[in-house]
Amino acid sequence: MSDNSAADSGAISGSNSATRDVVMHQVRQMAQVFLALIAIYAVFYLLSEPFRSWNTLFTIMTQASILAILACGTTVVLISGGLDLSVGSIFAVVGVVVGILLVNFQFPVWLAIISGLATGAFLGFVNGSIQVFSGVPAFIVTLGGLTAYKGIAELLGSGQDLSRFPESFQMLGSGYYAPISIMFASALLIGLFLRLTKLGNHAYAIGGNEEVARLSGVNVAKSRIIYYTIGGLMAAMAAIVEVSKLNFAQSSRGQSYELFAIAAVVIGGTSLFGGRGGVGKTIVGMLIMQTIIVGLAYLGVGTSVQRIAIGVIIILAVFLDVWQRPKR
Amino acid sequence: MPEQTEPGYIFEALSITKTFGGVCALDDVSLRLKSGEVLAVVGDNGAGKSTLIKSITGALNRDSGDLYFDGQKIEINSPKDAKQIGIETVYQDLALVNELNVTKNIFLGREVVRDNWLGRLFGILDFRKMDSEVRSLFSKLNIRITDIYREAEAFSGGQRQAVALSKTVMFGKRVAILDEPTAALGVRESQMAMDLVMSLKNHGLSVIMITHNMQHVLEYCDRVMVLRLGRLAAVKDVAEVDGDSLVSLITGANEAKAA
Repeated sequence: MSDNSAADSGAISGSNSATRDVVMHQVRQMAQVFLALIAIYAVFYLLSEPFRSWNTLFTIMTQASILAILACGTTVVLISGGLDLSVGSIFAVVGVVVGILLVNFQFPVWLAIISGLATGAFLGFVNGSIQVFSGVPAFIVTLGGLTAYKGIAELLGSGQDLSRFPESFQMLGSGYYAPISIMFASALLIGLFLRLTKLGNHAYAIGGNEEVARLSGVNVAKSRIIYYTIGGLMAAMAAIVEVSKLNFAQSSRGQSYELFAIAAVVIGGTSLFGGRGGVGKTIVGMLIMQTIIVGLAYLGVGTSVQRIAIGVIIILAVFLDVWQRPKR
Repeated sequence: MPEQTEPGYIFEALSITKTFGGVCALDDVSLRLKSGEVLAVVGDNGAGKSTLIKSITGALNRDSGDLYFDGQKIEINSPKDAKQIGIETVYQDLALVNELNVTKNIFLGREVVRDNWLGRLFGILDFRKMDSEVRSLFSKLNIRITDIYREAEAFSGGQRQAVALSKTVMFGKRVAILDEPTAALGVRESQMAMDLVMSLKNHGLSVIMITHNMQHVLEYCDRVMVLRLGRLAAVKDVAEVDGDSLVSLITGANEAKAA
């Protein structure tokens, strides 16, 4: 290079205010979501006497756990710019499958669990593959999956009494500690996947700009299929915990879970358009939702009003994000 | 009669044709790149410059045409194929992912995995190694971007182009293809980008560069090929042309006069 190139490069070294804005926005966002959770908790703490107990705190976390496990998978899919509406139905299929294997076929517990996880992963894999190879949009393919998988769950589970599982299976979902531990373990695992691995990083790249990722040599089709497979796998994990907790399996379970999961992801601050976000935010988002539901219940507010509150929170969360995002 | 490969060229794309629906974007265009040269590709908007680049780097499927590297016929069916052969491309507006930081952008698609069994099994990235390679690359190229953890979105146009061009230095083994490296840049930033293009040449790469800037063609390039309405209008040594004659070739003014 010529001698004066160092001086010229000064033009590209200058910092600009937009730089600081973007970094600060990220830090601020995570802090805000967490502070929002604490603030909401504090409000109910002040308003309701029975709310002020460790029991309530653990109840909130336990109630959040099953949906949070499922939402970990949803986070991966949304970061990659995808959408999976079928995970609630995958949840139903896996619940019924595990129930049948345990009750009708007397499978050992570990084998029933592995079979359930494999079933969920496979259904997610089918979603991803259809989408990638047919070119039909994610919304449509997984909307089809939502209905079709629901039908499969009903066919498999109809007229059967799938309950009274072995003791060792019931441990997974009973009490506070097992489901809460599985929630945090799932979040940790998915978090490490997203942050540390090549495939996890490609989720951000593909969600950010699929065409640039493709031109950079990323195998977009293969990666996407894997993200949907992970979505199915986490739905299966959630289903197994719930079936264990309830001690029965039914094809009607899992209804609208995909929407609650998306809501938690969005409240946490992960972008619906892909490229940004994280699983920690999703856990906080889910805890915010459950705190509101449990807190309102303690105040004697019915489920209908709880739903209205959640709806408002979803819109408010995204509004705050859009409003604060640095304008370019 | 399709074009034949000729000796003395590192990369040849012969008789390339590409149609979109019924519209012919490229009609039997051939491009020949000499080793160590900077070849400019010029032409009006819609002349087929970007389509030509995309058709020979695997970004678009061409209808017909053959590619040769060092006189050997090669197949490039995806961007990955081109990279493996040693051809690195900076596409206009499609160089960086806004949401990724500098290191992740530069290594996108070619990440370094930790060198132990765990790393290989799970594809765990070696960020420390990648960061240090980016730092040494930037110091070699005099690029003064210190915060390589910052998202690409936060950088100016010139900084973004510097990151994109440095990627070709890092990975381009033989040929660099650049689609308007100075588009939308100010005077100082353009100058900086062109210095980087020249340093590509100094690093032993042969360069194909699409540009609208005639001054850059005359100042930095060895040969120039002119596209007009999807056809090859002319290939000239830069020494044979000046600004006016280039503009005439681009617009087809001389032919119009003759007719």
